[in-house]
Amino acid sequence: MSINIDKNPESDVLPERIRRFPFPFTAEQYRYSANVEPAHKTVETEAGAWGAGLIDIDEFYLQELADRDQILTRDPSRMQVLPHMRPAVWDALTAVLSSMAEDYPDTMSFHREGNTCRWQNTLQNLNIEFTAGDDDSLPGGPMRFLGSQIQDDIVLLDIREDTMWLDAGLVSFAADWSFSFDVGMNFLEIHGPVPRVKEENIVRRAEQFLMRLQPGEQFRRTNWTMTIGQRLDTSTETYPEWGPDRGTIATDPDLPDKLHLRVEVQHLIRLPHTGVVMFLIRSYLLSLTDIAKVPVWREKLGHVLAELPEDMAEYKGIIRYRKAASDWLLAS
Amino acid sequence: MTTTALPISAHPAVEGGLQLEVTSVSVQTESIVSIILANPSGGTLPSYVPGSHLVVQYGDGVNAYSLTGSGNAPSEYAISVLRVEDGAGGSMAMHQLAVGDRVYVSRPRSAFAPVSTATHHLLVAAGIGITPVLSHARAAADRGTTSSLIYVYRPGAGAHVDEARELLGPALTECSNRTGFQEVLTEQLASQNLGTHLYVCGPGAFMDGVLGQARELGWPEARLHSEAFGAAELDEGEPFSVNLVRSGIKLEVPAGVSLLETLENAGKTIPNMCRKGICGECSLSVLRGAPQHRDLYLTDEEKAENTTMMCCVSRSEDPELELDL
Amino acid sequence: MRSVSMPSAAGSGLEPGFRGVICASFGVTGDTAGHDTGDRPRHDLRFVSANPEALADLRSVLGCSHVGVRLVLAGPPADIRAAAAAAAECGLLEEEMTLLCDEAGPRVVYCPHCRARTTVGAAGTEAECSGCATTLFIADHFSRRMGAYLGYSAHVEEAS
Repeated sequence: MSINIDKNPESDVLPERIRRFPFPFTAEQYRYSANVEPAHKTVETEAGAWGAGLIDIDEFYLQELADRDQILTRDPSRMQVLPHMRPAVWDALTAVLSSMAEDYPDTMSFHREGNTCRWQNTLQNLNIEFTAGDDDSLPGGPMRFLGSQIQDDIVLLDIREDTMWLDAGLVSFAADWSFSFDVGMNFLEIHGPVPRVKEENIVRRAEQFLMRLQPGEQFRRTNWTMTIGQRLDTSTETYPEWGPDRGTIATDPDLPDKLHLRVEVQHLIRLPHTGVVMFLIRSYLLSLTDIAKVPVWREKLGHVLAELPEDMAEYKGIIRYRKAASDWLLAS
Repeated sequence: MTTTALPISAHPAVEGGLQLEVTSVSVQTESIVSIILANPSGGTLPSYVPGSHLVVQYGDGVNAYSLTGSGNAPSEYAISVLRVEDGAGGSMAMHQLAVGDRVYVSRPRSAFAPVSTATHHLLVAAGIGITPVLSHARAAADRGTTSSLIYVYRPGAGAHVDEARELLGPALTECSNRTGFQEVLTEQLASQNLGTHLYVCGPGAFMDGVLGQARELGWPEARLHSEAFGAAELDEGEPFSVNLVRSGIKLEVPAGVSLLETLENAGKTIPNMCRKGICGECSLSVLRGAPQHRDLYLTDEEKAENTTMMCCVSRSEDPELELDL
Repeated sequence: MRSVSMPSAAGSGLEPGFRGVICASFGVTGDTAGHDTGDRPRHDLRFVSANPEALADLRSVLGCSHVGVRLVLAGPPADIRAAAAAAAECGLLEEEMTLLCDEAGPRVVYCPHCRARTTVGAAGTEAECSGCATTLFIADHFSRRMGAYLGYSAHVEEAS
């Protein structure tokens, strides 16, 4: 950690949500790029650090899992597994649980003998035995169970016909997309609506990269957008609920508290037994008020928002209020 | 007798891999042995994708061998090695391994994976080509998918025949002559339901023949899968040298070591991120010579100009490159 | 070689293990007649629309075909996209299908808010959802599995 307490007396009282926040900008402008790097590497920020482990568990763990459970009960379409993906879900579950046990030895453990597995998670008072490959051995099946252990959304991409297919997942916290609509699409189709990336050949390059990963390899990248209110579910499904805020936030006196920078840390993992590519999407929200407590962040985000080209601002859904946001950040 | 000591250092192709112990060596045929490798401290080994291979180090060299298990949470890795009298020496060294010997191996690498949506796997193997398709047959059985196998081998020289018989029952067709094989193949290629995929492993000419016949019968490329055994690409490249014009120094880039690593070892700081040829961070200006472009970042036009290269993966077509460094 | 079967009797006119070209036309505009299948055996199907019976017939024809078969679909997007999705479920790959699409014909829009599908005309960027009556903006985002374009509630951000 690189908190300089002498020069910045405020930072020693920065709350955890700021110290652990994966602030994504390294410059004062942002463009799409294939910004992938190996996973498991600590990144130091002006306020703290992030990125040491694969699965990040923070103070919002139980709250976010409860939110997810409610969302899935209300709208089961947020979880889908096409039939040929069943082995991949088990592959994902066993890979993630054993990684968590390694990263959190004090609270979690995972043991496997043949297909018999035992998982302990004291954060949830959980001690459960199940049989890998037997969907009935876990409450709600393996995908729902995995979604009850990690804050990340889960997307599984199968590799066939020289492309990747989004054929399974559990996505409760989508940032302005519809998982259930995208199920069954290939990588290029999924990214059809993103401006610029086709011209710049980024999607095809990213796909080639992912398909060449060897089983067991783990990479990550960050992505970002903005969200109004402390809400992780900004899916297309619920757009009528949260969309109107985009039209009113610019003139809302509470903009600095209500408007959040939303950062996704996406892990990209080739699963060992099925070779399926797993995306884990972990979303973090931090209000502009919090961002402004770190002067470098305040300035960088202010400039990025001011400079972002129109088409990208439109796609990210921030075009109606990004000027108000950057004005506030750069004025304070 | 243990004659093969563990080499002092791991070959680049097995770096980040495992150190395993030989727990069993058994004779399959006159020229094929099966070798079982396990973790010396016990415990399961990493799972692998059916049809994967293992890169095994012998002395200074490495060879790739197909794993024959299903790949699901294995406690051991099994490979079978055909002795090649006039080869580079790898197979001879492997045949001398004894129980208790330790070897460096890579993590399993996948280059011949089954298709998850297939409702039936039609497997065709010749000779030692049985090894990866045996893995496919086992994994299919594990997952509740059907498979059938046409296995061509010289009488008395077939490895894993008993296992194949037990695993596949009537879905196994054994052939020992070309005419019989042709008949079976044609009949099977013309009678597959829509969910079937074809997997073939054997000598190059054998695979070309099978794939050619499938195409003639209307099989599209997406249903055809093949692996040339023993030819799994190790991709370490040829050695070359770089002349850093501004620094006035010359460096040798050995096979199996990247230009980026060579520069870093020489104390140069090169911005980099993915080290996989996709992010574009480690771009270098080339003043003279033709880089061997192996990245995904530059466009075809940019590659053709030969003025920029990604030093994490790309190498050189020429013996020497001049760089603006 | 040319065989024709009526929709209700589809499959019956086809010899098991067919590996030729299946040509399926939908509606009045769908016409595969002009599609040249060379010297490969050909089996023609004609449907009024991609209704459940038509899709069941198509599935049964594909179910008794063997690898090597090709499928040609002609007609409005709403119909041939549904047929293509059914064929994919039967194990047919993209490489094995040819879509002759009548771009002026109706297409399908999916509403993620209520999950209803609405068949709409080719023109226009908005449509009323047949399930929840929301005015949907029709995005340029197509799902082959659903055979539909994505819609989402239009003008939501302007309502202030």
